[in-house]
Amino acid sequence: MCVSSPRTEFAVNHQPATMTAVETRLCELLLREHFGELVSRAGTHLVHMGPQPLRLVALGTGLNLDQVKKALCVLLQHGMASFKTGKRGVSGPTWVEYTADCAAMLRMLRYTRYVYCAKTLYGDAGELLIEETLQHGQLTMSAAVRRVADRMASTADEGKTVEYSDVAAAFTNLVNTHFLQRCLSGKEEGESEGARPEAAPMLVSNEKDMYTVPKIPLIGHGKRRLSADSDDLDAHPAKKRKVEESLPDDGIYWRVNFERFHQHFHNQAIVSAVASKMDKTAGEIVRTMLRMSELTTPPNAAFTQLLASTEIFRSLPPEYGMTKPVLDQYLSLLADDPMEFVTKSGESGGGTFIVNLLKSLKTMARCTLESIVQERFGSRAARIFRLLLQKRHLEQKQVEDFAMIPAKEAKEMLYTMVSQNFVTLQEIPKAADYAPARTFYLYTVNVEQTARFILQRCYKTVTNLIARRHHETKENKRLLEKAQRIEAILASVQASGADEAQLQEIEEMITATERQQLENLKRTVNKLDKSEMQVDETVFLLETFLQASRPQ
Amino acid sequence: MAGRGRGRGQMTFNIEAIGFAKGEALPPPTLQPPPLFPPLEYRPLPLLTGEETDYLLALKQELRGAMKNLPYFIKPAERKKDIERYSDKYQSKGPADNAIDWAPDWRLLPRELRIQVRKATKAKKAVVKTQVPKPEKSKKASESENLEMLKNLETLEQKEQQAPSDEDGAEEEEKEEGEEAEEEVLDEEEFEEETDYVMSYFENGEDFGGDSDDHMDEAVY
Amino acid sequence: MTDVVVKQEATDAVDLESRIIELCQQFPHGITDQVIQNDMPQLEPQQRAMAINRLLSTGRLDLLRSNAGLLYRLKDAQAASKVKGADNQEKLVYQIIEDAGNKGIWSRDIRYKSNLPLTEINKILKSLESKKLIKAVKSVAASKKKVYMLYNIEPDRSVTGGAWYSDQDFEAEFVEILNQQCCKFLQQKADAAQESKQGPLLQRNSSYASSHEVWKYICELGISKVELSMEDVETILNTLIYDGKVERTILSAKEGTVGCVDGYIKLFRAINPLVPPTGLVRTPCGVCPIFHECHEGGDISPETCVYMTEWMAF
Repeated sequence: MCVSSPRTEFAVNHQPATMTAVETRLCELLLREHFGELVSRAGTHLVHMGPQPLRLVALGTGLNLDQVKKALCVLLQHGMASFKTGKRGVSGPTWVEYTADCAAMLRMLRYTRYVYCAKTLYGDAGELLIEETLQHGQLTMSAAVRRVADRMASTADEGKTVEYSDVAAAFTNLVNTHFLQRCLSGKEEGESEGARPEAAPMLVSNEKDMYTVPKIPLIGHGKRRLSADSDDLDAHPAKKRKVEESLPDDGIYWRVNFERFHQHFHNQAIVSAVASKMDKTAGEIVRTMLRMSELTTPPNAAFTQLLASTEIFRSLPPEYGMTKPVLDQYLSLLADDPMEFVTKSGESGGGTFIVNLLKSLKTMARCTLESIVQERFGSRAARIFRLLLQKRHLEQKQVEDFAMIPAKEAKEMLYTMVSQNFVTLQEIPKAADYAPARTFYLYTVNVEQTARFILQRCYKTVTNLIARRHHETKENKRLLEKAQRIEAILASVQASGADEAQLQEIEEMITATERQQLENLKRTVNKLDKSEMQVDETVFLLETFLQASRPQ
Repeated sequence: MAGRGRGRGQMTFNIEAIGFAKGEALPPPTLQPPPLFPPLEYRPLPLLTGEETDYLLALKQELRGAMKNLPYFIKPAERKKDIERYSDKYQSKGPADNAIDWAPDWRLLPRELRIQVRKATKAKKAVVKTQVPKPEKSKKASESENLEMLKNLETLEQKEQQAPSDEDGAEEEEKEEGEEAEEEVLDEEEFEEETDYVMSYFENGEDFGGDSDDHMDEAVY
Repeated sequence: MTDVVVKQEATDAVDLESRIIELCQQFPHGITDQVIQNDMPQLEPQQRAMAINRLLSTGRLDLLRSNAGLLYRLKDAQAASKVKGADNQEKLVYQIIEDAGNKGIWSRDIRYKSNLPLTEINKILKSLESKKLIKAVKSVAASKKKVYMLYNIEPDRSVTGGAWYSDQDFEAEFVEILNQQCCKFLQQKADAAQESKQGPLLQRNSSYASSHEVWKYICELGISKVELSMEDVETILNTLIYDGKVERTILSAKEGTVGCVDGYIKLFRAINPLVPPTGLVRTPCGVCPIFHECHEGGDISPETCVYMTEWMAF
């Protein structure tokens, strides 16, 4: 096996920056939780080492080739890795190299939020479609619709049918609003007619059809699975292939468009910020403005397109019952507000407005940091922190004077915040000798740097929460096993029509103390799980902020 | 050094340097090391609660259970066991490294990744069949047979995971068997019933840290 | 202690004080309590003490400690006599300090003005200070910087820190109370505006209060022992801005409008936070003081964390 610098042909590295140890560790845990040990090892190795060919992954992980192949298939299927081909020399052998997508791995943290969001937008069908797509990484429309219809049928009321066409409509909605998009597809056959088959397919994205739903007949309805569903097509890979290949949308795979979800989350955050600062009505007006421009504004744009007040008025949901003069008042208030989420950009059409997407993101990220300082160090420290954010650079004495905090206290707080990386201390020597007596010491807050630091803290926090959850479960492993077994006995005994006394006797095999212990464990696990999701809100905001702040 | 031999012999430094006047009483010696976890100055805020939070929690735990039952969740090939276990023969045949349990679209993947897709294994059909009569035994379990029952617990657990929950499934299975004999198929019971993961929210602690000495599938609460 | 004149009729308080001053003038180096006793033997000790206290508190007498015991000495007479006896350099420095008025002067500036070497100036300052002709006042404007002014002068606000300082000590509690009161006032105003159910524009406008309004409110509360200026109240309002609780707008206004300074009116209003506390601080790790010492497998680890244990039990 040739291991000599396989890198040479792959100068371009996708990763924006090398991943930190904390991120790598979190990827490892998330991969293990979702795909098991093997995938976790291969995936973490790629995150750690950067792009590598198959054999090096095997060598580095100590896994055998087949195991690595399986793991890579999973990662590629779920968009958590990509591959690239390259040639060594003109006629040399072709290499395939695999690159981990760490950001995609970390997104697993947010899966429930995507699913829930789809539910709020498109109901149960939307929810299940996104859930299935996330679970499988990518799906054809026909497979997704069938699965979801079947799942809905198994929970629907007796006698109620779930038509494929209804689910297909939800699918089409998700595509039309860009929450689902097409995966890269293989080049059309015939295009790559070579002497021998390529080492890897050329995957291309078809911009034109990115959001075009194939016209396929989807007639039928979901089948209730009596033996609670075990996804028969999955269990019969070969049969699955046969069935799916015969479908007209064979090879057209769909995946979740995370960017679109993130755009939606960002918009939601803007709406709630406006509602919190001003009032609900103002929030709803901004929601309308964002909705109007959602599909025409690229996800990373700094602001929305121009929106005329007359158009906004027409787009407002009629149930608000708002008059044009009131809308105009709100618009001028919004444009006037120091948070500057909305700017007036012109006078035509009764005034044109834009929503400042980037600015709002920066403001919300800043407020998030402020709230962390507040809860971590108290309100007086938060006062100093905000003061520094507003005045940029201050000497200690100035901090004391503006914040009106006694010198000793201010000094201690500044010291703590500097040592915890919330505040930075800049030395500006007046003379070339850098003598302390002739040096200005200026305190300042570098928002991006602090955000980056806090983001790492969030990743570590999630890691800790997962670690603790595993620990708690492991501590109670014996008890859980016992409970599990007794449940099993109960179920089978019950099925065979045992009498009450027998059932009770079996139930009593778990003592009251044990039951209490199980209850506690359940509560603990719930609390840890909830925290994990709530920390992700911080993660989302800071990730989005940092991504947007990165120089393009 | 300078402190030795003077009034306060135990001091190796000048105590005046750290702010104590001569003759001033020193604080009593600390008997304990500083606590590993100093008292918290600020407590975490309460978690958000409400319908949305609860729904998200249920979704998260369901999803976690579901992922474990999908073919993308690759369990490592079984290691050589030091002990032959009774349950071993009921374990779905250990996931083999040389085959994949789902059908990737090879048209989209590098050629080198192509790996055999799992063939049907007769052994597992046998499992299903041999297990069908098993519940009869436990049905008969009476008060005096508790001990024996506990012995069977593990068996039952395995059965729970593998046996179809209704007879129809098994029948279908048998009917199909003939047709499928020549196909590369995998038996359905490889994967747990979907309803199971709805309830399951604990996962195996041993997944963490990578020591999977004793494999227990996620507990069903 | 000779020349003791016995006066029988000096019982009136005013007479008593002037008699003590008279005695002091006779003995410019100071008199002891005994001298007064001898001078007015019929005087009740209580009356004597009261008279002396009055003289001390009005600054006409100084209390000195000497090896003969406590001495009372006339302030002005002593000052005059001391400066009289001092050399020209001392006079020059005294003059410079006197010119500096209630703002005081820094020793380095005395040096520039007097052209005397700093060591010499320090000597003179010490001597003048010991004679209680001048005093050194720690300036709050620049910590560790002392300014000198005449002994009986009330230092300027810029030196003492104004309303927020007493004896150069920052009155943090007082500031906090004012901060809370201002906030309460603005919050009430905002609440009232919201309840008024006016149009959004009017509603916002009526939630504003000018710094003058807030100042008036605070003055009428009567919580401040010292007189606060509008500027003082604005300083407090600024801390509320840094607290994230208040927002400020500056409007131009006609000169002469109430609360208008240099053609501008500062308007303040209470605001709601933009975002709720973020998820991170809802976990123990978000507020953990030893987060950076936490490692898997260490003494401080997620598995052994007592903060988490406590939090989960709650």
